[in-house]
Amino acid sequence: MATLTRQDLNFGQVAADILCEFLEVAIHLILYVREIYPSGIFQKRKKYNVPVQMSCHPELNQYIQDTLHCVKPLIEKNEAEKVVVVIMDKKHHPVERFVFEISQPPLLSISSETLLSHVEQLLRAMILKISVCDAVLDNNPSGCTFTVLVHTREAATRNMEKVQVIKDFPWIVADEQEVHMEEAKLIPLKTMTSDILKMQLYVEERTQKT
Amino acid sequence: MDDLYLDNIDEFVNDQNKIVTYKWLSLTLGVHVNIAKQMLYHYLQQKRNESSGTPLHATYLVSGKCVENGSTCHKVSVVREDKLDAVKAKMDMTISVHVYSVQRAELKDSSPLYNTDYDTVKENLKNCNKYSAIRCAAAVSLSSAELQRAQEMALVPPVEKEISKPGLNENTSATSKPSAKQPAGIMGMFASKNASKSQESSKEVKTEQKEDSSLVETSKSKTASKANPMSNFFGKSAQKKADEKPNKSIKEEMDGSSTALATASMKQSQTSPKSEIDIKEEQSKVSNALKVESKDTRNKTKRPEVVDCDDEKMESQQKKRRRIKKPQPDSSDDEVVPDSPPVPNVHTPSPKKQVTREPVSHQEVMTEKGYVSESYSESEEEPEPNSQAKDSSSLKQSFGKRKEEKKEKSQKKTSTANKPTKQPSIMGFFKKK
Repeated sequence: MATLTRQDLNFGQVAADILCEFLEVAIHLILYVREIYPSGIFQKRKKYNVPVQMSCHPELNQYIQDTLHCVKPLIEKNEAEKVVVVIMDKKHHPVERFVFEISQPPLLSISSETLLSHVEQLLRAMILKISVCDAVLDNNPSGCTFTVLVHTREAATRNMEKVQVIKDFPWIVADEQEVHMEEAKLIPLKTMTSDILKMQLYVEERTQKT
Repeated sequence: MDDLYLDNIDEFVNDQNKIVTYKWLSLTLGVHVNIAKQMLYHYLQQKRNESSGTPLHATYLVSGKCVENGSTCHKVSVVREDKLDAVKAKMDMTISVHVYSVQRAELKDSSPLYNTDYDTVKENLKNCNKYSAIRCAAAVSLSSAELQRAQEMALVPPVEKEISKPGLNENTSATSKPSAKQPAGIMGMFASKNASKSQESSKEVKTEQKEDSSLVETSKSKTASKANPMSNFFGKSAQKKADEKPNKSIKEEMDGSSTALATASMKQSQTSPKSEIDIKEEQSKVSNALKVESKDTRNKTKRPEVVDCDDEKMESQQKKRRRIKKPQPDSSDDEVVPDSPPVPNVHTPSPKKQVTREPVSHQEVMTEKGYVSESYSESEEEPEPNSQAKDSSSLKQSFGKRKEEKKEKSQKKTSTANKPTKQPSIMGFFKKK
């Protein structure tokens, strides 16, 4: 990366790449920590120089990758406001929502190596916070599923429908019941601010889960 | 000491929802590790007696002697509180038990424990053992000149060994193990551990093994092998001198290729500050990486906890399996540990058995090394690049061979076999950077 000139580097793209990589790890970790899937499918891998649990199930991995692949163009253009991982019970009512609020600071500049290692450190801290989040959350009922929602600014989704990023992987407008949660408790987990990325992670949890 | 520390720990654990390990606590509060352990213990006692508020969970470090597969060994493991009694009962003799960490959340695996220590240790890298109880007077940081020399010397014999394999002194088989390694002293440490383990395991050789139900301590290897890197460097340099003598003529041909390798490795290694403590940290990273990739190499039917076991033990027990799967672990290993100097080769711990194979395997390894260091910048741990790596590495191999045929027809085959594969790897590394 050092040999690329500043003109070659599209800062938005770099920030989006970093963020999507992080979101992939974060989603896998949420699935592991909240026991959405049995722990047997998870395997220790390394990211940001620390071990993280990632799933080995090919279809699950493909699903998450396709999801983030579609989200990436939105992040590049700074149109994605929130990426939400919703955990739903058997009746498809959300019990938990892990909300990643994303914003890019107006003056996007990538200056040196130290910046990226600083970002790495911040992302490591985020991952650590996700790992211990079950101290502040109640247990989920069994048989939960998950889905990913993206809240966009303005009317970006209209453009998305016209240009399908991945064939056979359509995005639909989310149902009201998936988006809103009754009796929600808000539990902040972590905030990070850096030159290329600002992210807030909090959990909305339903008071009565079962 | 006054009781302010109890409030401090309370704040960390309850308010900030942190995982407080004894190491983190000692570095944060600036106290000796033994005092940190006692602090955590008192805190736990106090909170449990109060029996109010949020429940706390703790992990303990248990070390003792136990008999495993017929041989006694010293086992050190991090266990959750609920498994503590079971693990203690399983040991013949429990030497020490102390609190490893205190946290509110019930941890499902050991990764957050490593994560908490990572940043504080990295910040205090030069003096991370300031408060440690394990000391070694001989363990001093190498100066950078000494370091480069050691790496250069480490590079020359493995290359020589391939050519001069028939007729070399077989009596140095035990010592030839570490010398036949690639430059990283890290793998040398594992090899020397292997050798010593086979001799005498009831001594202070600390091996990390996995209890079925317990968590593995990853950073312990850092402190445990503190004395080894130094002895390994000294041992290696002594061996280099012995090995270099019979191969002077071949060495001249090798010089060109080996110095190129050495410069590449030095450049790569100089990206991270070089001190013995750093090597230790790399070793812990590598041991982490090895543990990670040991998962990859093994069948996925095993549960994550079980596979998290001792590298050396696994290597000694499953040398055959390792040999066959060599290309894959190396590439994934490279992806996982890009910072360390040219590749802690996972297959090298058993060079004696593989002496005949070495030219072929070495070549395979080199080519994959070349590709993977390029792909690191793209993605770190996706399995897909692995399969892609194999395809393009085979392409690279054929490319390398053609190049080599054009240039150096007169030179020996094995010497040239190394050269072209090096070229793509060096250029690839710098191009992507």
